[in-house]
Formats: sequence, C-alpha cells, structure tokens
Amino acid sequence: MSTATTTVPAHWPRWQRLRRLSPTQRCAAAALVLLGLFAVAGAWVWPDPAAQDLSRFLEPPSLAEPLGRDHLGRSVAGRLASATRLSLATAVACVATAVVAGALAGVLAAWRGGIVDTVLHGLSEAFVALPALLVVLLVSAMSGGGLWTLYAGLALAQWVEYFRVVRARSALVLSGPAVEAAGLLQLGPLHVLRRHLWPDLRPLLTTMATFGVGTSVLALSTLGFVGVGIAPPTPELGLMITEAFPYYDEAPWMSLAPALVLATVLVGLLGLRGKESVS
Amino acid sequence: MNMHVQGLVVTHTGRTLLDVDDLRLERGRAVTIVGESGSGKSLLAHAVMGTLGAGLEAQGRVVIEGTSYDVAERRARRRLWGRVMALLPQEPVLALDPTMRVRGQVAEGAASFWSDRRSGYRAAEEVLGTLGVAGAARRYPHTLSGGMAQRVAFAAATIGGARVLIADEPSKGLDDHARNDLTVLLHRHVTAGGILLTITHDLDLGRDLGGDVLVMRDAGIVERGPAHQVLITPSHPYTRRLLAAEPGRWRHLWVRDRTSGATERTADPGGPTLVQTDRVAKGFAGRTLFSDVSLTIRPGDRLALAGPSGSGKTTLGNVLLRLLQPDAGSVRHTQELAGGRLQKLYQDPAVAFPSRVPIGAALADVVRRHRPAPGRLTSLLAAMRLDESLLQRTPGQVSGGELQRLSIIRAILVDPLLIFADEPTSRLDLVTQEETMCCLMEQVERSGCALVLVTHNQALAHTVADRVLAVAG
Repeated sequence: MSTATTTVPAHWPRWQRLRRLSPTQRCAAAALVLLGLFAVAGAWVWPDPAAQDLSRFLEPPSLAEPLGRDHLGRSVAGRLASATRLSLATAVACVATAVVAGALAGVLAAWRGGIVDTVLHGLSEAFVALPALLVVLLVSAMSGGGLWTLYAGLALAQWVEYFRVVRARSALVLSGPAVEAAGLLQLGPLHVLRRHLWPDLRPLLTTMATFGVGTSVLALSTLGFVGVGIAPPTPELGLMITEAFPYYDEAPWMSLAPALVLATVLVGLLGLRGKESVS
Repeated sequence: MNMHVQGLVVTHTGRTLLDVDDLRLERGRAVTIVGESGSGKSLLAHAVMGTLGAGLEAQGRVVIEGTSYDVAERRARRRLWGRVMALLPQEPVLALDPTMRVRGQVAEGAASFWSDRRSGYRAAEEVLGTLGVAGAARRYPHTLSGGMAQRVAFAAATIGGARVLIADEPSKGLDDHARNDLTVLLHRHVTAGGILLTITHDLDLGRDLGGDVLVMRDAGIVERGPAHQVLITPSHPYTRRLLAAEPGRWRHLWVRDRTSGATERTADPGGPTLVQTDRVAKGFAGRTLFSDVSLTIRPGDRLALAGPSGSGKTTLGNVLLRLLQPDAGSVRHTQELAGGRLQKLYQDPAVAFPSRVPIGAALADVVRRHRPAPGRLTSLLAAMRLDESLLQRTPGQVSGGELQRLSIIRAILVDPLLIFADEPTSRLDLVTQEETMCCLMEQVERSGCALVLVTHNQALAHTVADRVLAVAG
C-alpha cells in the first residue's frame, strides 16, 4: 500500500521543482548568493585590494571601511572580497574539470572494459594511494607555484573520486536489463547516455560536486595558511588569516572575517544538498 | 481457541481500503482469501497482525483466545508474534536473513532461545528435521532451492508454537513442485489444530487447502463459502470472472485449439528458419543447466520453455537471443533478425525501462529510431486500453500490468519477427495476467511473429504455446 508521497512529478518544469526547496535549503542558497554578490560587488567598490596606505595602519572598522584596514593600511573588506572571488572561482573551476574528466573516464572504463578499464582503474588506484594535498604540493613544487598549478593540482587530486563512483554506478546501469532492452531495440549509445546513464548519475554528481567545491575552498585556504599556496600580495583566505594573527589582540576582526567566510561557504554548501533520491 | 475479526475498517485519507464486518477463524479449518491485487486482502493480514502502515487509519476489533484487541492499537499484539500468531512471508528467499545460517535464524523464534541458546538450537534442528530439511541447518539461505527456503521460512515462522498462521501470498514465485510441498505444510498446520488464514491470488492453492474461501473485491467480501463450492461453482459474477481468468479456461480467438485434432498451425513447417540451435549447452559454476538442445524456430511458432525455477529456462532463452554465449554448440540467426527485429519482454518491466525518465521519452526514442507508421503508437495505446497520460509518468509510477503492456507496445513498435517473453505475467494477478497475455497474443496473432514464452506455469504454457519444451534443470 503506497502512502501519499510529496515527490514532484518528473515532467514538471525545472522552476516548479525549485519551489519545492526546504527552508534549510533556502537559507543556505540565500547565504551563498549573498556571499557571491559580496565577492563580485567588491571588485567595483574596492578596485585595488593591494593598494597600501601606511598612515592608516590597523584602522578600526568604519562605515566606509566595514572591516577596517590591515597592518599595511590595505582595505580588509576589499581584500576579503577579492579572496572570496578567487577561492570560489578556482574551486568551481577545479570541480568542473574534475567532474568532466572523472565522469568521462568512468563511463568510458565501464563501457569499454578490458584494457581501457584496467589502465584507467590502475591510474586511479595510484592517485588514491597518495593524499590529495600531497598531490597538490607535488604539482606546485614541480612547476614553481602560481594559481594555475594549484588549479591543476586540485583537479588532478579530485577527478579520482568522480571516476570511481561513476565507473561503479555505470557498470551497474550498463549491465542492467534496461540497457539490454535498449541494445535489442538498437537505440544506440546516445540513447543509453542520455536516458539511462545521465539521469542516474546526475543526482550523484551534483551531491559530490557540492562537497567538492567545499573541499577545494578549504584545501586552497589550508595551503595559503601554511604558506605554500598563492603568493602574497594576492589576497587569499588562508593567507589573510596567517597575516592577521600577529595583530589578533588589536584587530581580531581581521582574522575572524576570512574564517567566517570559509564557514559560510561550507555550511551553505552542506545545507544546499537535498535529500538524495535512492533508486 | 478461535479468532474473530469484528467490524474491521481501514481507511486512508477518507478512502476505504478494507471493510470486513465479520470473519471467524476456527481451529482445524483453513480460510483462504482470494481476489485481485488492490482489493485489500494483504491489508487484512497486516491489520490482524498489527503491522499496518503508519498512514492508515484502522478501526475494529480482533479477538484472539478470548482477549479482545483494538485494531488501531498496534503495539499490544507484538508480544503475540511467534508465540500465538505468526506471518509466513512471501518470497521466502528474500525474507530470510542472508547473513545468518539457517539454524541460527530459525532458533531465534524458539521460546527458550533467549534464556538457553543450546536448547533453542536443538529445537531448530528438530523442527528442520521434521520438515525434511535437516541438512539445511548449517547452510546460508542463498544456497537453498526455492522449495527448501520455503520450508525453512515455515520452520522459522512456526517454531514459536504459534497456533494462528497467516500466509501472505505464500505461493508467489514458486514452481509447481515447491507449491505442492507448501500445500502439504499448510495442511499439516491445520490438521494439527492450527488456525490458518491464507491470502493468495492462486485459486489452485485455495482449492488444495479446502476449508472456507472468501472472495474479496474493492475492499469488501463479495462471496464466501466452502472452497469446493466457491471455487468450482461460484454464484457471484466477479468470482466467475476470476475463475474464467485461469489460463486453462481461456477461450480467446488466438488460443489455438489442439484438442480438436485439426491443428491449424499458422507456422509453416517448410518456412524460413528464424533461429536454429545445434546441440547447445550452458552451465554456471560447474553445474550444467542444459545440454544437447537443438531447436528450430520459424515465423508464427509459439514455443514455451517450462520448468521449475532455477532450471535454466531464462538462460536458454538468452542463449537463443545470443545475449549469452553457449558453452557448446551453435546458435544461428537469420539475416532478417538483424536491425532490432528480435525483442524481449521482462519479468519485471520496471527494470526494463530507464528508471528516471518519463515512459513517453523512452518510447519517443524508439519511434525516432525505427520510424513506425505515424499514429502507430496512439493506435497501439488504444488497442492495449492504456491512457496516453501514462506516458508522462516514470516506470515506478505505473502499475505492473500497465507497464508490461507498455513494454509490449515498445516491442511491437519495431515490428519484430520474434518475441522472447521471460515470465511476463508471473508477478501479476489472474485477471491482469489474462488481460496482459491477451494484449500480447492479439499483437502476435496480427503480426504473425514467433513467440518464445518462458513460464513456470504449466497451464499458461499449454494454453499459449503449440510446443512446450520442458526444461528439467
């Protein structure tokens, strides 16, 4: 006996499904949108986050400078906006690259099997054996730092997890009777991708990517915090916390503000994740 | 001791799902409830046991051993489970715990188990011994055959000494042999002075059990009486309809009459060969399922592969379709079968459609690829008595019978020469089975394509097919 369910019919348009977000999801989305607006609008309000004015050393917060100025007289709010922009953009780019590469490799391995599967699976095994941050450190050490190596390192460390999940799930779907029937109907690989694999993988990938963005933001700031990430004077969340530590007694807001941004990003992304539908 | 159900009404958001005014069960007399799915017969079992879903409102009373229980109060009857009343689950292979050995899970139901494990194990071995499956005690459920699993489940349900046994669709998925064993077990329970309430859509089981039969439809009981009367000479029109839906009694135009002697086979013995196998053999893990099978399938053939579950019928079919490689021998397909003119119907149609996509989108892909005559899909939907709005739903939102008819449409759209139907109706009740088989056979008759039907139901095999190949296993 089926009890009343509140699931949205699959044929409803997308915007109607958006309206079915839970209060938690709405709050999380609002927090993330606000953060994004702050990051983007910051570029206009504070055009140069590196501009110094030593006469305004550790100026306390005011209306024009909501987070005051740091030890070099730079606008903390301006630097925070710039750092948030950098973190989010890099994290999204890393995850997008990792999802596309991992998912394509996973589907390929599950579909072709044989030598393709052996090689790709072996490669992913090698990456699993290394801690992700070590991969990033190795890549940035080999090519001398910079944003691009951080991006490449993070993407390289993350594709494995998408590859492994997509490979396992696709193998299950591809060996199922629905795909067997599609083969007897000779509907072709495009049909299998579009109607069988993608609808099945999409909820998995969105959940994983949401977590992936959070992990990337955290990894970037961890590297910045220990001083092997983005080089100063480019503002970066982890680096800003390190730089502000010596002045914690006089200006605690300087180190708390970037930490708050990190917390908002992570809590927001966690709250955004819906109830995963289990097939 | 007896059991009495009084004024039982189960509703869900104002809709009445079950309304049974008075039902008396006595020791030594089996009571069987038959009816189509959705008639509320399973709800009756759950209402009596106290396992109704949380969203259902229930009222009425159940009197067991002189104690009266309110049906709405579900917790009070928990301490009766296993000791006074027990539920024999459907599909025992799925109901047993796959991680526990048989002896352990049977022993858990013994009254003494929690105070003295050894005596519990001894009791379990004793019960398994009397049921003739002593050898299964140390095995895991997945290594048991369907019939053995049924006996183990029976042992687990009855070891606590419950006098009231409720069996919910106990014969579902069982082959004839295991079904006969089950009937013997249930009989034994009744003759030992037990109370038995069986819920089934298997009319033969009702006849074999004897006692009283209740026919349910639309939440209520439409006819009741002794089994030999209700299930042989029914008085209510619905019961007559139910009886007519048994495969052995079908009188449709497409049923080829083989008793009259003049077998008018549309299959032309000299016609072209679609599929030819030459001494094929296949086995798994060292066990040979079949060997030396040589078959020829021509256009218009109707072949049934019948046999008990696990005998390799489906495997043989998949070898015929070249979805599986035979271990020995060869399978040849004619050139004309290329291009998707060989189709398969699945036992569970829900897994044969992409699960998260509206059915219409999946069918649209078939139409785009094979380009049937315009309007063919609409006319097929009408012929199968299906509403077009079903196309907007995903497979999980459509009933089993409707979905099987939709998969027949999908197969027919490509104008097949051979349809392989793997237990297409084994999960459906009698009336839906007849309706579904009619839809399939009307299309088979019209297009003149060949049919290979896999079934464990002998009556269905002999009614539908011209040739029945018994797969022994």
